[in-house]
Amino acid sequence: MTTLTARIRAFFDETGNLSRFAGHFFSLGIKPRYEFRELLAQCYQIGYKSFPLVGLTGFIMGLVLTMQLRPSLVSYGVESQLPVMVGIAIVREIGPVITALIFAGKIASSIGAELGSMKVTEQIDAMDVSGTNPFKYLVATRVLACTLMLPMLTLLGDAISLFGAYIGVNIRSVTSFNLFFTQIYQSLSFGDVLPAFIKTFFFGFAVGIVGCYKGFNSSKGTRGVGISANSAVVLSSVLIFVIDLLVVQLTDVLGLN
Amino acid sequence: MKIPTGKTGTPMGEPAIVIEHLYKQFGNNIVLNDFNLTLQKEENMVVLGKSGAGKSVLIKCIIGLLRPDKGKIIVGADDVTKLTHEELDRVRSKMGFLFQGNALYDSMTVRENLEFPLRRHWIDVTQKQVDDMVAEVLENVGLAQTADLMPAELSGGMQKRIALARTMILKPEIILYDEPTTGLDPVTAREIDKLILSLQEKYHTSSIIISHDMNCVKTTADRVILLLDGKCYAEGTYQELEQSADENIKQFFE
Amino acid sequence: MANQGENNTKLGIFVMAGLFVLILTFFMIGKNKSLFGGDFVLKARFSNLNGLMEGNNVLYAGIQAGTVKNIALINDTTIEVTLAINSKVKAYIHKNALVAIGTEGLMGNKVVNIIQVKGTAVNVANGDLLSPQKTVSTEEMLQTLSKTNNNLAVISEGLKGTITRINSSTLMEVIDNKEMGENLKASLRNINKATEDASHITYGLNTLVTGIKQGKGSLGLLLTDTAFAGNLRQAGMKIRSASEQTSALTKQLNEVVDGVHQDLAYGKGPLQVLLRDSAAGSNLNKTIENLQKGTDGFNQNMEALKHNFLFKGYFKKADKKKAQLH
Ligand SMILES: Nc1ncnc2c1ncn2[C@@H]1O[C@H](COP(=O)(O)OP(=O)(O)OP(=O)(O)O)[C@@H](O)[C@H]1O
Ligand SMILES: [Mg+2]
Repeated sequence: MTTLTARIRAFFDETGNLSRFAGHFFSLGIKPRYEFRELLAQCYQIGYKSFPLVGLTGFIMGLVLTMQLRPSLVSYGVESQLPVMVGIAIVREIGPVITALIFAGKIASSIGAELGSMKVTEQIDAMDVSGTNPFKYLVATRVLACTLMLPMLTLLGDAISLFGAYIGVNIRSVTSFNLFFTQIYQSLSFGDVLPAFIKTFFFGFAVGIVGCYKGFNSSKGTRGVGISANSAVVLSSVLIFVIDLLVVQLTDVLGLN
Repeated sequence: MKIPTGKTGTPMGEPAIVIEHLYKQFGNNIVLNDFNLTLQKEENMVVLGKSGAGKSVLIKCIIGLLRPDKGKIIVGADDVTKLTHEELDRVRSKMGFLFQGNALYDSMTVRENLEFPLRRHWIDVTQKQVDDMVAEVLENVGLAQTADLMPAELSGGMQKRIALARTMILKPEIILYDEPTTGLDPVTAREIDKLILSLQEKYHTSSIIISHDMNCVKTTADRVILLLDGKCYAEGTYQELEQSADENIKQFFE
Repeated sequence: MANQGENNTKLGIFVMAGLFVLILTFFMIGKNKSLFGGDFVLKARFSNLNGLMEGNNVLYAGIQAGTVKNIALINDTTIEVTLAINSKVKAYIHKNALVAIGTEGLMGNKVVNIIQVKGTAVNVANGDLLSPQKTVSTEEMLQTLSKTNNNLAVISEGLKGTITRINSSTLMEVIDNKEMGENLKASLRNINKATEDASHITYGLNTLVTGIKQGKGSLGLLLTDTAFAGNLRQAGMKIRSASEQTSALTKQLNEVVDGVHQDLAYGKGPLQVLLRDSAAGSNLNKTIENLQKGTDGFNQNMEALKHNFLFKGYFKKADKKKAQLH
């Protein structure tokens, strides 16, 4: 009984601490001095370096999704709608969410492990002593880089995914590049694209803040570092789905569908 | 119980650090319990103590990495326990801190590690000045050729020396050394001792040195204190403590 | 330092590529939308919108022509729909054009189709009211199809019986036999009715196929994508040829009967009558065979249609109704 209440207590403690950490980002992160160089370096690490992975998974996803959807569409006699169906699925949901999950797997864990080991080996304290605010230098730059880079990755990932879908369509039948994309673009509206695009900022923020939070609060020892990396991925993945759910509800309420 | 010893060593009247009635507790683990200390200007003070006695906690409290539960730590004119982050930063700019585990930034090269504390004054210094400073400290620790290596490519002793170089690159008024010679061969250890002394001579630094290395203590210490049960158990020159009959003190000199 | 610069360049390329995709997407979608941003509107009134909403597309001859701008209830049975029309398309729409509500894709959005009608009329002006097309619902169409199909089957059965009897007897007998004469006349009447039905169904099929081309309704879409369109069109052709042959048959029979009557009236010999008899008989046979083929082909197509899941519901309902009647 006590363990249950203790666990519930721990859950809310964790939620509170994470929220305070995020609040810190907004109160501290917006004040000078701005770590532009480090931000660019992190954008490179987090964004550019993740692109091959996101591109590859996106391509395969588009291809496979198309091949999986085709048989049922054929049996309904609407094979010609395959690009539209795949296009909507990728742009609205699968593209952003899968990219974010891949991103969480790669980035949240690496941030969690990096900051965790920096914490454990007192590098963070060393920065603090050296007159560089570690929250600004390490956390704000990483969170901002995640928030800005995930949308870029998602956009490119979607594009590559759609290209994969185009190839998927062409495996069994023939459609021109032009027709394929005209069909997709015609079926898309701002209501499809905008919420999907905007939510990726929140996904990126969640991945960054959770990774940093877990790393920053890593307990001593290599085990602690492993745990921070692992729990960063788990928590940020869950958060991605929660945010996704909220965004769907919100766009519904706002009538953006 | 305090072993009475005469005040020794320091010519200057004005203290660099004054610690009064310091308490620090982690859960039920009382680490510092009414600890008092005065560090004079240009004085080298060695803190002795068993592993886990709270030596690292003490100097982390001084630099503001840990907040004590009670008590005052006056550095210059400021009580570091009551400062905001910005004010603390200003005080810290006069202090250097050598971490027990070196705490080198392992994602940066040696040069970048050494440049990092200079970021504080980034706007005021030219690249030429930065290069000169880096070259100078590397020369001091005898590792001039390692500038472009990563910390992971260095041996433990070399890492310690780079950490030392990083601590003194800004020529701080006060340096807190957490075990500067641990893990080094006797030859290098003596070089570090000499370095600490020459720094003090050249830049008139005041330092607190945590050490178990009695050779180091002997050469560097103007004054030695013994931290026990969260209190300043004994205080005196090396020779005074060496001749003490107290069991707790004798342990360290055997 | 150089490395850092290089990384920044890579990062810059990466970000520019992402922004390019974003801008391209917005531009492509925006192009579709802004084209209809003009003030040119047309209006149409319906009694039922079937779920049409503001923002749905308007198609003219299958081309994207605008969007639904406004929907307003005028009274309890009339809803006025305002259509914002693309400036490029408006010059081609005439006042006599018809509007109909259809579906985009199988389960897609509703669309408003503007259908061009033959004949000359002046171009539309801003705010003109277009009249709605009287649409044949899928349900009605299927009912007609199935009824005609049944009729044709019955008729062709009856016809077969009659013809067999004609074949097994001489024509003289046919004309002398009062009962047989009546039968034949009845058959002829039936054939005429079947012809009418057949032409009706051909019209129905044509409407269906036109509907398909305009992407009207789920049925329409289904048909464009599967072999059913081909099947149905083929069925239509078969029926038409059958109906043509039926008229030919009627004409022939009439001719034969007239001929026999005349021959007898003019006192031609029985030999001549017999000659004519056999020639007419084989002629008739061939026509009937063709007719048979036509209806068979149509039957097959109807059977295939019945097995398609989308129509299953409809045919089941029809069967149930039949069972209740019996
Ligand atoms: N952040 C912390 N949280 C909880 N307990 C701590 C923390 N830091 C230190 N302690 C506890 O305080 C006590 C003193 O630790 P400290 O690191 O000061 O020892 P030390 O005197 O430096 O020993 P050593 O010579 O081995 O370095 C230890 O019992 C340690 O468990
Ligand atoms: Mg220690």
